[in-house]
Amino acid sequence: MDKTIENIWKEGFIKSGDLTAPKINDLYNQKSIHIIDKIKRMNKINLIAIAIGAPLFLVITCFMHFPITGMATFVILAVILYVNRNLMKGFDTIDKGNNSYEYLNSFNTWLKLQLSINRKMAGFYYPALFLAVVIGLWFSPGVQQIFQEILAKPNEIYLLGNFPILWTIPVIIISIVLAFLGGRLYDFDVRIVYGPVYKKLEDILSDMEDLRK
Amino acid sequence: MSYDFYKTFILPYSAIIIKICRAYTNTQEDFEDYYQEVCLQVWKSKDNFRKDSKWSTWVYQISLNVCLILLKKKKNNQKHFASDTIPDGVLEDTDAFSDEDLNHLYSAIKKLSEVDRAVILLYLEEKPYQEIADIMGSNSNNIGVRIKRIKERLKKILDGQDY
Repeated sequence: MDKTIENIWKEGFIKSGDLTAPKINDLYNQKSIHIIDKIKRMNKINLIAIAIGAPLFLVITCFMHFPITGMATFVILAVILYVNRNLMKGFDTIDKGNNSYEYLNSFNTWLKLQLSINRKMAGFYYPALFLAVVIGLWFSPGVQQIFQEILAKPNEIYLLGNFPILWTIPVIIISIVLAFLGGRLYDFDVRIVYGPVYKKLEDILSDMEDLRK
Repeated sequence: MSYDFYKTFILPYSAIIIKICRAYTNTQEDFEDYYQEVCLQVWKSKDNFRKDSKWSTWVYQISLNVCLILLKKKKNNQKHFASDTIPDGVLEDTDAFSDEDLNHLYSAIKKLSEVDRAVILLYLEEKPYQEIADIMGSNSNNIGVRIKRIKERLKKILDGQDY
């Protein structure tokens, strides 16, 4: 080896002169794909969990003698699953041939639509799930027996048909509150599970917008 | 990042970034990713630049840090696979430069540890020992000793006595 490493370094760069900077045109491709894949994967896991959880919950509730809760919950979760599966199809229509910014932006628009539809649904399914639990418990043999024992004793429960009116009032109030707060509860849920990854998506988009200026 | 910023504060130092990124990557694709990430981080960190050091030193520091982090991330990802070799279909970039000796030197540098690579790159860029020590968070005496050892090892690798 005749040359010193210092000479190889100096002369090499002078001779080759090929220190051309690569173009910064694809800066976020990998990041975009990574973040979108991550959100898609999380969504998919969520849907699989619902698909497995709903029938499992139905079986468990049948064994525990309050099948009405199980059936109602199963129907509610099946609707959520159906709607979200259809929404996922919308994701596949996003043109992957777009540049990173457009791809990420289209994805963000799709995600916002998905979140807004789920938020609206939450106003229905939170009270529906609550009612499913209450009604299921109501008609379960154990609770029915307790009711019969209470009703058999002299008491001041106001009945409408066989329903103790005063007891149904809190159930109705809670259901109405859940209907009003459903959207916010959904936001809270999303923030806990998806918060960091959605924030990352927003950060990347904001960076890219800066980059385009 | 505006083009003006890129043109004024990154492009004149692109040689530094290229040299460092080349030392930490094996493929053209990785090299471009690392280069872009360094540019992005330089731009993002511009407000943290303290004027007590030179801008070029700052760019060096960010380039090294970004490359080390990306390399670490890559190694972590590769732990999930049975092999940590380059995936099929991706050719190792052994002739990134048209000068053959330079390519050999780069191959030898890539055989060094991540930290030794950083030190020797700074040395080859004729940075004073004190500046290298500042960048690496060491002292100039240690850097001097380390450089001597690295040069000996590089010579052995280039002579085919060390793999």
